[in-house]
Order: sequence, then structure tokens, then C-alpha cells
Amino acid sequence: MTRAEMDSFKVPLFFSRSNTSTEANRTGNWCFVRPSYRDRTAPCSEACPCGTDIPRVETLASKGLYAEAWQTILMENPLPATCGRVCFHPCEKACNRGELDEAISVNALERFISEAAQAAGAGAASGAAAAIVRGKASGKKVAVIGSGPAGLSAAYFLARLGHGCEIFESADEAGGLLRWGIPEYRLPGPILAREIKALEDLGVKIRCGEGRDLSWPFKDKGYAAVVVACGQARAMGLGVPGEELAKDGLEFLRETRRDARAAGGAAAAGGASSGGKVAVIGGGNSAIDVARTLIRLGMKPLIVYRRRREDMPAFAHEIERALAEGVELMELKAPLSLARDAKGIRLSLQEMKSGEPGPDGRRRVEAVKGATSEVVVAAVYAAIGAEAEAPWETAMKAAGALALARSRLLPGPLALAFTGDLATKDKSVSDAIASGKEAALALDVLFREGAGAVEARLAACRIGAGPSLSMELYLGGERSKRDGKVVRVDDLNTAYFPRTARMVPHIARPAVAPGSFVEAEPGFDAAEALAEAGRCMSCATCNDCDNCRTFCPEVAVKVLDDGRDINADYCKGCGVCVEECPRGAMVMGAEETKR
Amino acid sequence: MNEAFDGKEYMYSGHSGCPGCGGTLAMKLALRALGPKTVVVIPACCWAIIAGGYPQTALGVPVLHTGFATTGAAASGVRAALDARGEKDTTVVGWAGDGGTFDIGFQALSAAAERGEDFIYICYDNEAYMNTGVQRSSSTPWGTRTMTTPGEGWKRTEKKNIMEIMAAHRIPYAATASIAYPEDFMAKVKKAASIRSGLRFIHVYASCPTGWGFASQYSVKTARMAVQCGVFPLYEVEGGLSYTINDVGREPIDDYLRMQTRFRHLAGDDVAWVQRRVNEERERLEGKAAVSGHGKA
Amino acid sequence: MKKVLEGSQAVAHAVQLARTKVISAYPITQTHIVEELAKFCADGTLDGQFICVESEHSAMASVIGASSGGVRTFTASSSHGLALMHEMLHWASGARLPIVMAEVNRALGPGWNLWMDQTDSLAQRDTGWIQLYCEDGQEALDTTLEAFLLAEIVNLPVMVVLDAFFLSHTYEPIDLPEQEEVDRFLPPFSPKFMLDTEHPCGMHEMSQPPVYMEMRKSIQAAMETVPEVLAKVDADFASIFGRHYGPVEAIDCDDADVILVMAGTTASTCRELVRELRAKGEKVGLLKLRMFRPFPVAAIRESLAKAKKVAVVDRNNSAGAGGIFAQEIRSALCNCARRPEVYSYVAGLGGRDITTKTLEGIYRMTLEAAEPGLESRWVEIDEELARS
Repeated sequence: MTRAEMDSFKVPLFFSRSNTSTEANRTGNWCFVRPSYRDRTAPCSEACPCGTDIPRVETLASKGLYAEAWQTILMENPLPATCGRVCFHPCEKACNRGELDEAISVNALERFISEAAQAAGAGAASGAAAAIVRGKASGKKVAVIGSGPAGLSAAYFLARLGHGCEIFESADEAGGLLRWGIPEYRLPGPILAREIKALEDLGVKIRCGEGRDLSWPFKDKGYAAVVVACGQARAMGLGVPGEELAKDGLEFLRETRRDARAAGGAAAAGGASSGGKVAVIGGGNSAIDVARTLIRLGMKPLIVYRRRREDMPAFAHEIERALAEGVELMELKAPLSLARDAKGIRLSLQEMKSGEPGPDGRRRVEAVKGATSEVVVAAVYAAIGAEAEAPWETAMKAAGALALARSRLLPGPLALAFTGDLATKDKSVSDAIASGKEAALALDVLFREGAGAVEARLAACRIGAGPSLSMELYLGGERSKRDGKVVRVDDLNTAYFPRTARMVPHIARPAVAPGSFVEAEPGFDAAEALAEAGRCMSCATCNDCDNCRTFCPEVAVKVLDDGRDINADYCKGCGVCVEECPRGAMVMGAEETKR
Repeated sequence: MNEAFDGKEYMYSGHSGCPGCGGTLAMKLALRALGPKTVVVIPACCWAIIAGGYPQTALGVPVLHTGFATTGAAASGVRAALDARGEKDTTVVGWAGDGGTFDIGFQALSAAAERGEDFIYICYDNEAYMNTGVQRSSSTPWGTRTMTTPGEGWKRTEKKNIMEIMAAHRIPYAATASIAYPEDFMAKVKKAASIRSGLRFIHVYASCPTGWGFASQYSVKTARMAVQCGVFPLYEVEGGLSYTINDVGREPIDDYLRMQTRFRHLAGDDVAWVQRRVNEERERLEGKAAVSGHGKA
Repeated sequence: MKKVLEGSQAVAHAVQLARTKVISAYPITQTHIVEELAKFCADGTLDGQFICVESEHSAMASVIGASSGGVRTFTASSSHGLALMHEMLHWASGARLPIVMAEVNRALGPGWNLWMDQTDSLAQRDTGWIQLYCEDGQEALDTTLEAFLLAEIVNLPVMVVLDAFFLSHTYEPIDLPEQEEVDRFLPPFSPKFMLDTEHPCGMHEMSQPPVYMEMRKSIQAAMETVPEVLAKVDADFASIFGRHYGPVEAIDCDDADVILVMAGTTASTCRELVRELRAKGEKVGLLKLRMFRPFPVAAIRESLAKAKKVAVVDRNNSAGAGGIFAQEIRSALCNCARRPEVYSYVAGLGGRDITTKTLEGIYRMTLEAAEPGLESRWVEIDEELARS
């Protein structure tokens, strides 16, 4: 028989054979509570004065996308290479990973990312950096007084918002404290110069050797506002007899930055007969900077501080490095008087003892009656703090000023914005940068909508509970879709993070050699950076780990070009995705408050 | 979790698996690893229903439903036919639950193993006859309450050690796997597919929110806990003799038992007994791995 | 080519000539068939795979798997092995697979008995398999070849039934066809459906009340096409091989007062008796039953309706009801306007011999009886022992 003959019988053949898919069943109607993707806020970003999107930065870095990581930092902070060296990294203290094993080395990574991006030839206006460009010209001109971190930052953000910026700097090189205060071994000159140059490429004009004060006719020259970022250049005196014998620590740092050898010579000239022992009075970063600089000039610095080591406002790691380098520390000693001595200067000291914490949280100290001592040193450097010149302070306290979190804004036909160490409660480079940003955004709101809108508009840009602000939020970027709720360790699924210690650079620290100001801190190498960035848990921020899609039993996770979504046609609401999201970027149930 | 996934799934949405079903997750992952040149043979089990009712199918690969006891035999027949047709690079998979593997399907499985049949047998284990409403099987652990070991009649015999039994058949490859360790599971499925010289057996832990009594969102977590407290170690046996441990934890068993209502009746002594047995079996397994020259991989 | 072959061997040759690709079987007394096939596979005479399974249930499951995989398949069993397969027999027909099985009629125990009895195959009469009973070795070979073609046309499995020992282990001269002839009769298997990764689908999924009945009706409807299809198959077979069978064979039935009805080798014995009795002028006929499923109602009515008396010889019994052929024949005739008296006899269970004397006794009893009893009459049996 042939096949055709066989088939001609047309025998009924209806049996169970399935050719259509179960997709016809919209099992989404089983669901009584539904998951959704909800990027929220990571504690590190909230703690960062610049509000940098740190989880995103680390995720990009962990994939070797250093240029993209760098652009992400630049969105919120114009000086990543600088901060990667001098920031006091409050992000690391807030890092959720610190509760599991050890916090991510965000600071060291910021440094590595900046260098790696640079090496890859990623310029501010190239490639994917479409966001970091000069905004469409607004027709407004803003003057900035001072080219320290606050002034540079204010100019950067104003330029991106389309305003014409000019910085007036009294010194002959830009940078302020970054150039003249922080020693070379902490922040090498070329690094800073590179970042300042990038700003100039953005269209910011920096006029060095042209100091200005508020008496200058800015309005007549067509400026709509002045950003006052002059810093605190006046060193505070010791306030004891013989204080005129003490050298100004800040001035010493300036001289060293200008010409280290000359500064060294001058210092040595005064120290030879006393075995090079010099006293540094103070407990802040400047005091440490002075001490570690003196070491590098062949001296034997001795820090004299009226409270205990743990009370010193200087960064803990700076204190640790100073001591490791051979700087001596005398705690609980306050200067009583200075007097000339055949061998140098006789410094009388009062023994102090620690008491109860005061209103500012710092422990009070009180003199131990009758307990005094003396030490003879070749020189005494005072580094107990600085303040601004009087006219700036007065202007800042004028009536009608808007007191913002890190700056003060005085609206008017010539608006004034006071930023940086002048205005911030916490004095740090990052706070100064944040301050400049805040002022820039405030001025932009002022120009567009008037003073009444400033606080509300800025409040909408806060990261978490604030006070840090985000430029991306201000511009209405992707990040503005995120929830302001900060995600803590309990919101994460830590099963996905095997406990590991943080990476430690294997490159050894260079030995401290007299006259050598090479960078003191070694950085990560590429493998270490990748590994460390990989430890970031990307809290609250989806980084496409794909757990949700991997574990969904309903094949109901959609991966779109701009994110992920749940297919409501099929999701049964089992909740596995939310439970297994390592970073708490998904929620179950009712809509949470969005910003 | 970072291995690139091309987005191609061979399981469709709209199936009738319970929310959080470990068995459906296991199938999805297995098919990701196997791809479209796969034929799946399914006996009576939850998947016989989940696979869809006429005229629907939940899978993008051919499926043959077969009698409860017959997975090992039917898969052997399918393999023979595919070979006769020259379809040598199509993988045959027998996909059965614990009942159809440990109990009624055991004979056919054993025979297929002994004959050195060229297919992968994957047992997705939810530790009871779940499809028929939670009745005990020989895979149900000591201490479990089910509908046929209810109340004070909770099961007082231990779970059959199917891996040891399959190892005794000296098949080229046997492995445990878990829905909580998807990359490990998929790698094992791929490995099994690449071996053609005899039966490959994979025992995948498939948590069951409905039958074990926990909220559906903890399906993967329960599976992870099982590995982390050593109840369900992840290991491989090659040639029936060479043991490699992939992962086995030492967390105390208490939380694992407490989070499932099927165990909640167990008193302190019972829990201690279970802990002791888990420890003993883990030690035995570690000894075997040591003898094989492989500790934790 | 003529060869002296055992009935089992004849079937094995047919399976080999049919170019079967996958054979799966389990040992049971009566399965010289599978041993022969194992030999063919081992020496390459048969280009196929032999799967030595661990039970008959698995044998049927494997051929179901293989047939679903799109190749020609075969298995063989008997008695308890067939009984063990029961679940999967239902599966094979529900799955509409063209599987061929040789089933050697053997008694079911306890008591343990290896000999001829039809109860085993008839106990499977509801499983949706076509059943064809063979009288001799030639018919066993021929029917096996026909079975493949029939199965592949109607998509229902076919059971080729042989008497244990009397047929399975008896040597006869058999006309062994040439491969070329068989290829003309039976084209290569071209499955109407199969497991195919190019066209994936689910097979034998849950089928709920709205569709199940239609699927069952489809089986019924396919069965109803079998008489027509078998007629064509028989005709084609006859045209190539010169032998014709049909669903029944009527010998001297036209003017018979008593028609003896039976299946299997007993029919061969009965031909002898009919010749003897006819020579003496007795009006006796023989209706040999070949096709039992589907039950050949039309042929039965046509052959038996005009007879006065019909004596059905059952080598089987359905406890509590009686001989099974008799039941089905009565059922086929009950609505006929004109129908014979149907006498039911149970004989030859468990290998007890049925001789011409036995059959003659049945004939005489029928002739002399005033009316049939309702129950079946057991022949040549120690009643006292049976009732002890």
C-alpha cells in the first residue's frame, strides 16, 4: 500500500496534543499583593556631602567601566581625584557593608577611578559625558571670589546650569586650600591642576592674582550675583603671652607649597641647635599637615594638644599616619606661654584633664591645678584654627539672608551667596564642595523663580534625609525616580555577600625621606580596585544582578531598555523576587511614598 | 548571578504551579541550561499538571507524558527512537518528582541506570506526594507531618538516600542541586548533558510552600537554608565512587525546622536527634570526599 | 522461501522484515519471540535497538516512548506479563500509537500454569487494542506483517495473539516472504505525529471533561474503520503474497444446522472434525474468529444469523459471567430479527487438550440439546474435584 492510500482512510485522530502555550492563562489574577522595583537611597550617598550616587559608581567600577564611573561622580562633584585623596569619607562610616564585614573603600576607589578614567582618555565632554557640559547660556554672569573647593564647585555647577562664571583669585595660582594648604604628599599638584583645567575647559574663567572684595562694583560690571568663597585665611592666635613668637602654621604650609626647599631651609635654619625638635600646637588637620610636612623637611615635630588623641578633630587616619611617620603627640597639654631661650623657644605647658562632654559633644578639659611643664623647641607652629577676615563675616550676617544647610543666600539685585568654610558648620573639602553646589543651585532657583522658591526646590533635591543635594535630581534625571527612603542592612539579603575583608593596597608606602613630598598613600592596583568595587552591595539600587528574573517561577520579570518591570499578567505575587533581591531595591505591596 | 543570560526561556508563564513553587523554578533553570534540543518525559507528579492541560503546554520543548512508574523506561524508548532517527544531539530528560523516583518509579530508574541508558534523570524533590495532596513518600524526611503521617503518626523513618543508591549503580554522574544555587544547578545540568556514556542523575531540592507550610516568598531561602545547615549538601559523585562536595554548611538545624509547619511539632529531643543525624551524614560525606581526594570544591 | 519455523520464530521474522527499529521486552515463558529478535539485533539481521527492560510494564512504557519518538516498535508478552502491562495498554491506545505486540495466550495463575488459555488476552479487551487471533504459524507471520500496516493506518495498537505451545512452540513449514515483497506491502513508517524539537508540543496532557469524551469517541470511531481498513490490508496482502484471511473465516456454514465457533489453533483441529462429519452427511460448519477487537459484528451476523444453532468454544472464562466469545456473540446477535440459539462451552483451559473428540462431543451436545442454558457448559472436567 502507498502512503497516499493509507492516508485516504481519514481515520479520526483526536487525542491530547497541545500546541498552544499556557500564556493564554493570565495567572496575574491570582495575585493579591504585587512586587515592584523601587530604587531607594543608599546610606553612603546620604552621608556623602556631595550626594554622589556611590552604589552606581561602584557597580560601574566593578565592571571595569571606569570612565562611566567617573562621569557618575562628576555629575555631583567636580573634584573626584582630589576628594579621592583628601575626603574624610563619611560614606564609609555609613556603609552597610561595615555591619557585615568591612566598609567599602569608597575613598580609595574614587581615587583609582579618577586615575583609570584619565588613563583611558575620558575627558569631561567626551563620550558618554553628555551631562557634564556647559548648559545653554542663560545670559547671567556670576562672580566667584576664591578658587578653593567651594568656589570651584560653585563655578562648576553654575556653568553647567548655563551661567557665565568668573573666579577671582588673589593668589597667583588657583586652588585655595587645595593648592596652598594641603601638603603635596597628600594632594600632588598635577592632580589638582588637571581638575582645575577641566573646569576651565567647561568655560569657567579663573583670574589669578586678581583678588576682589565686596566693595568692587560687581553690579555695574553686569554680574547678577557674587559667590563668596574666600575661606578662612586668618590664622587664629594662640592667645597666650609670647604668641608672637609662634609661626603661623597655615603660612608655613603655603610657603612649603610654593617652594619646599626654601621652606625647608628656612625651617632648618631655625632648628639646627635643638636637634630639629619643633612644636606644633593644635589638633586639627592643619596641625597634622604641618607636622607631617616638618618631618619631610628633616625636623622632629611634636604635636601639643589640649585634649586627648580621640578628641582631635583631625581625620583619624591622618593622625595614625603622622604617628607612624614619627611625629610625636603630647596629649592634654595647653600652651601657657612662649619665651625666647638660648636654644630656641621655651614653651610652658599646662597639664589638662578630661571632663564631661560639652554642648558640642566634645569633652571639656580642665586644668590640673599646679601641674605645669616646659619644653624647649627650635620653633613653635600655631595651627589651632582659622577664621575669615572681618568684612566677610559681617556681610554674611546681614539681615534677610536665607540660611541653607551649607551656605547663606542674600537675595537682591546683586545676590550674594556665602559658601565654604565661611558658611559651613563642618570644615572639610567635601563640605566646601557641597556648599558651593548648594549655592549654585540656590542661585539658579533665585534667577528662575525668585527667593521664595529656593528652599522648596532644594528640598526636592535632597538625598535621603539630606542635607546633601543632587545635581541629577535638580536636573530631573533618572535618579529622581528613586525613593528617598534609606536602605539599611535589614532591608538587604546578605546571603549573597560572602564575608570578605576590604582590599588593602599591596603597594608599600614610600619611606619618608627628607625633602621628598611624593604621594604618601599608595593606591589600589587594577585587580584590587575591581575586587573592592565588587564588594559594594549596591544598596537600594538595582544593578541588574538578575536575581529577580533568575528566581521568578512565573517568567514574569521583564527586562526593558531602561530598567525592569513585573509582568502583571502573570505575577502570582509569591514574593520570591523581593526576598532574594540582595540590595533591597524591590518592595512588596502598596505603593510607597515616592519623591 | 552575573553570568550573562541571553533571555531565552523554554518555560512559559501562565502555568498552574503554586506561587513560589520550587519545582517550576527548577524546570525553568534546567531548560535554560539545556536549550531547545531537548525532549522531556514527565510521569504523574505536580509537573504533569503544571505542564498544562489540553490544548496548552507550558514548555517550549517537546513533552511526553507517561505512566507514573515509567519515566526510566519511557525515556529509554524515546532515546532509542531519537537515535534511530539520527537525532543524536537532542537531549532526553526524564523529569519526575520524588514519588515517581524513590517509590513507584524506582524500578524503572534502576533498570535504566543498569542498562547505561543515555539520558538525564532529574528528580525534583518536594519530599512528598504533593500533587495528590501531601502524602508521604520514601523521600519524606524523618519527623514530617503529612496527610498520611498526620498528628502523632508523623513519619518516623528516614528519607531514602537516593544518591547513595544511584552511586551504587556506578553511573557516570550523579549530583545534588538546589533551586537556591541556580548557577551550580545549571552547570550540573550542562555537565550531565555533555556526558553520553550512561545515565546521569540529578537530585534537585525543590521547596514546596504549599506542602511544607511556609510563606511563598521564602521558597529560595528555605532551599538555601537546607544547604547551609547540611540537610541537603551539594555534591557530585562520578563513576559512583569519586565524591566532590560543592557546598555544605554547618548552621544549626533549628531555624530550618522551625520555619516549616510540617516540622513544627518536633520537640527538643527530636530536633536534637535530627541535628545528630545531619552531623553524622555530613561527616560521612566529608569522609567520602576526602578519600576521593576532593574536599569542598 | 519455505522454512521450517517455530511459531515464535515466524513472528520474529515478520518483525524483522517489517524493519522494526525499537524492540523492548521482558522475559516470560513463551517468549522465544524476543530471544529470536535479540539474536537478529545482535547479528545485525535486524537494524534496530533491543532494550532489555526490567518488567513488562516497562516494556510497554519503552515502546510507547519509542513509538512517540517516531519509529516502528514491537514487544511481546503473555499471561502475567500482559496483565502487568495493563495500565500501559490503556496508555498505548489512548496515545494513539501504532505499536504491535505479539501476545501468547497463556493461563493466569494462581494456580501457576504455563499452558494455553485465552483469558489473558481477553481480559484486556477493553484496553483499546485491536486483537487478531492466529490459527497457525503462517498466519502468525502474515498477521504480524498486516498488524504494522493496520496499526499505522488507524493509529491504534494491535495485538497478534498466538496459542501458547500449540502455536508458539510448534514447528511448521512457513513461507518466509522476501524483503522486497514486504517493502511493497508495508511502506516505511511515516508517523502522523512524534516528538520533534522542530515542532515542539505537549503529548498526552491533562484532558478535562469538555474534551476527554471526544478523545474516547475518536478511538471508538477509529475502531469502527478497522473492518474496512483490514479488508483492504487483507486484499493487498493477498495480492502480493497469495494468502487471504479476513476478520472471520466461514467453513461450510451456509447450510449448517450447527456452527461451531472458535479462535486460535482449536480452529485448525475443528477443520478436521468438520471434514469428518460432513463426510458422514452431518450439516456442521465452522466459523473461525480472527478479529476479536473490534468485534466483527457484521461478519458474525452475516455468518451466523441463518444458523439454527451456534456452539461457541471458549478457551477462557470470565468468572461470574461465562465464556467471553460467547457473550460477545450473543450480544452481536441479540437485536437480529432472526438469530440462532447460542450454546456456550468452556474447554481447554490451562493447556487441557481440545481434540476432535472434544469438539465432536460439543457438537453432539449442541445438536441434542433442547435449548441453551444461560451459563457456559464446562467440558471434560472433573466436576467433583471442581466443587470440592
